[in-house]
Amino acid sequence: MPILVKVINNNKEPSSLFTTIIPVIGGGLSAFFSMAASLYILGDPEIKTSPLAFSGALVMDGISLWTSFIVAIILCMIILISKENPYTKGRQFSEYVFLLMNSAVGMMIVAWSNDLIMTFIGIEVMSLCLYILIALGNETRNSKEASIKYFILGSFASAIFLYGIALIYGTLGTTYIHEIIQGARDMISINRVFMLGSAMVVLGFAFKVSLFPFFSWTPDVYQGSGTPLTAFMATGVKVVSFVAFLRFITTNILGGDHSEAFVTTLQWLAVITIIVGNVAAILQNDLKRILAYSSVAHSGYILIGLIVAGADGGQSIGASGVIFYLFAYAVMTLGAFGVVAVFEKDADKPIMVDDLKGMAKAHPYMALAFAIFMLSLAGIPPTLGFFGKFYLFAAALAEGFFWLALWGVIGSVISVYYYLRPLVVMYMYDEEGMPMADQRAATRIAVTFMAFLVVVIGLASEPFYTKIAASVLSLY
Amino acid sequence: MSLSILVFLPLLFALLVWFMPNDRFVRNSSLVMAVFQFFHALFFLPGFDSSTFALQFVERSMWVKTAGIEYFLAMDGISIWLVILTNLLVPIIILGSWTSIDKKVKGFHISLFVLQSTMLGTFLAMDAILFYTFFEASLIPMYFMVGIWGGKNRIYASMKFFIYTMFGSLFMLLSIIALMFMTEDQQGVMSSSIVEFYKLNIPFVAGEFLSTQTVLFFGFAIAFAIKVPLFPFHTWLPDAHVQAPTPGSVILAGVMLKMGTYGFMRFSLPLFPAATEYWGWIFLVLAVIGVIYGALVAMVQPDMKKLVAYSSVSHMGFVIMGIFAMNVEGLTGGLYQMLNHGISTGALFLLVGMIYERTHSREISDYGGLAPAAPIFTIFFIIVTMSSIAVPMTNGFVGEFLIMLGTFLAYKPFVIFAVLGVVFAATYMLWMVKRVFFGPAGKIVNEFKAKGVSLDINARECVVLTPLVLLIFWMGIFPNHFLDVSDASIKHLVKNKNQYFLTIKDSKEKDTKYSKLGQ
Repeated sequence: MPILVKVINNNKEPSSLFTTIIPVIGGGLSAFFSMAASLYILGDPEIKTSPLAFSGALVMDGISLWTSFIVAIILCMIILISKENPYTKGRQFSEYVFLLMNSAVGMMIVAWSNDLIMTFIGIEVMSLCLYILIALGNETRNSKEASIKYFILGSFASAIFLYGIALIYGTLGTTYIHEIIQGARDMISINRVFMLGSAMVVLGFAFKVSLFPFFSWTPDVYQGSGTPLTAFMATGVKVVSFVAFLRFITTNILGGDHSEAFVTTLQWLAVITIIVGNVAAILQNDLKRILAYSSVAHSGYILIGLIVAGADGGQSIGASGVIFYLFAYAVMTLGAFGVVAVFEKDADKPIMVDDLKGMAKAHPYMALAFAIFMLSLAGIPPTLGFFGKFYLFAAALAEGFFWLALWGVIGSVISVYYYLRPLVVMYMYDEEGMPMADQRAATRIAVTFMAFLVVVIGLASEPFYTKIAASVLSLY
Repeated sequence: MSLSILVFLPLLFALLVWFMPNDRFVRNSSLVMAVFQFFHALFFLPGFDSSTFALQFVERSMWVKTAGIEYFLAMDGISIWLVILTNLLVPIIILGSWTSIDKKVKGFHISLFVLQSTMLGTFLAMDAILFYTFFEASLIPMYFMVGIWGGKNRIYASMKFFIYTMFGSLFMLLSIIALMFMTEDQQGVMSSSIVEFYKLNIPFVAGEFLSTQTVLFFGFAIAFAIKVPLFPFHTWLPDAHVQAPTPGSVILAGVMLKMGTYGFMRFSLPLFPAATEYWGWIFLVLAVIGVIYGALVAMVQPDMKKLVAYSSVSHMGFVIMGIFAMNVEGLTGGLYQMLNHGISTGALFLLVGMIYERTHSREISDYGGLAPAAPIFTIFFIIVTMSSIAVPMTNGFVGEFLIMLGTFLAYKPFVIFAVLGVVFAATYMLWMVKRVFFGPAGKIVNEFKAKGVSLDINARECVVLTPLVLLIFWMGIFPNHFLDVSDASIKHLVKNKNQYFLTIKDSKEKDTKYSKLGQ
């Protein structure tokens, strides 16, 4: 709508407040409707099969509704943050919002898709908007580099993904998830080509969610993009990619006779991702790079849940753990990036950990919020992050993946070091910090809301988890 | 009389402190609130029925239903004194830090109250996940306390403290989750309440390291051993103690270390009796090494605070010895020694802090001849030293005697070494007293004499120390006033450790599923 106004008004930029409020209302409504629909579906035992749309290409089940709820919330928060961020505010803000919303639509398509082709289309819609968005940044050099890097590597991954789909279609004759489910278990045992296709699809996802060894773009792109966009990529893209990944992996491709190697490889990927992400984060000084590597590590944790969900005889406990963790992760990461966005003054100057000195004194509430996010990311109870990890590790132990849980735990211990570093700098040094650029009320609202969610849902995770656990049943 | 109020009242205080205007007001009102909380805790004593081992003042409701996690607070003979000790130390700390904490006063009191809440929660939680939550959450305020108000190397020390402890407790988390799945298998419903855990039948194969009970036992034990800290996991302790501000050291030595030993008593012994019996010798050996090693290292410390810190390692070794002796004497002594250590080591840290505040030196060699210059201080110091080295009539004697008795009944050879520890303790403490208080006047005493400034403690500091000194004698002369309250619980723990169970007082539910088959 804002862009429509801009076109009508002879290419004159409408007021940023207007541009912010309309999409936020839209996002809020979307979140509300998806929540209402998911409650309706779950509340009605009559609805046994999930409704399909576009000749079966999209499915409306608990997961897609939950994911759209998460995406809509992310979208609202990102728009609020973007309004005031030096990277994104200004001349082209209405175009920016338009692209952001398009990207969110792509995300929802990915989450709703019941068809690998549809997944691919969704990923492309989402990514193409993001490439442009990154390059749109007000800042001079890094964002262009990040955009090109993301574009080239992203296209490469998409190509692999598409090739994988082609191989699957060639062997099974379908790209619908619900039809793959029926054939996958036998097919993977006898057909090498199908196995190759599945592996390629998994690789495509691995790139999108930045698993080892496809994570090296993550820190560069996250650093180069404007903070709101980084937050958008770190949360939105990752959430929906993992949801699509989850849909694909629960098609019994891990359950065949020759899938042990597959499972083993994925386990190693999870372990190495956790270790690499956490160790690399220790060595960083740029706050955004720390968060980028931490998001790599979190992908590793989530992969643990995915393996549990997809393993032979896998139960819904893994899938519900994954969805809950995605929700928790999105809230925490969004909040952490939000705090970074509050302090960004100049688009060309990254925020180092040492820049946070004296923040506890100058901005006690923001410092407290940041401390909450960091402790939650580290998984200290009773925050949301703790319960996310709790459900994930519980799922791993329930399915006998003892070593995965152990590595997850070791990763968490390592991660404590770099999550605590900003706290050390904020609270334990006496020097004066840098002054804040301006008040940034909208960003503060977003951050406060996220901190509130982290604490409250941390203390009362029960209703959320039950709903999620009920909604993932449609996968099995 | 609600335990929830007891646990969360300090949190409310912390919130109130956040909105208080100036430092003076914060100090005064914090002291009033902490004293109030202490009496609040004392009011649980008359209502406590010491004739039963059953859980009392129970509050129980579901927290996370799908996983069977409960909000379950209760008190019994094992936890009651630790709760009171915690509430006693907080007002003492607030008064003791009246002048020594001079920056970020508000933040300090907030941390202290949050810490108090989490510590009380740890001792009162009867649900494993709730316990874990408090156990971990207590790290955060302590971390800030060391990191903000600590010495020169505070950031290194606080980081090491946090990561070390968290490393241990995550293994505990995995073990807890495993136990939760076992309740689901054996009882049909997932639960993380400790009471349900006790009913589990956890398979144990002697000598096999990977049998379920052994693995879980070590999962818990590593968390508690780091917290205690047991040799060789003790390296974080001297760092944390030396860098922590005086109040931080007091609370660390006084209460936080007890979370580990309390964990051994609450989880390891009753949950994994077979594994404890089979592998307990490892802990006894480590405890004895800790006792002697701590004492020897303390002996050569040039720094008073470091000396006290290493003496902590030694004393906590005694507690572990008592617990793993697994008889009534040993466990009673262990529990008693936990309280003693909290009081006497807490007092020692306060004393060292008081003199440091005046002289800014903790080097033993800087002192000498302090006794004539600071007579009241000297009297207090020597009384506390006597308690620390377990002279009869002081509380330390009762505790260490019971521990040795218990160990003697169970494992005779260990006692020989433990006795060595007592002798060494006397050596290092008395040697320090000699070098600091007696002999020719040292550098600092002369300096202060030249300036004409008194080194002795003031009235406020006497008020801080008096309750501790009174307790030292009270607990040393009338130990039964304290032991009787815990007696039923400990006897029950020893007698029924193979089929341990806890009932809830006044509950109508007659549970008949206690049998742990196959053991």
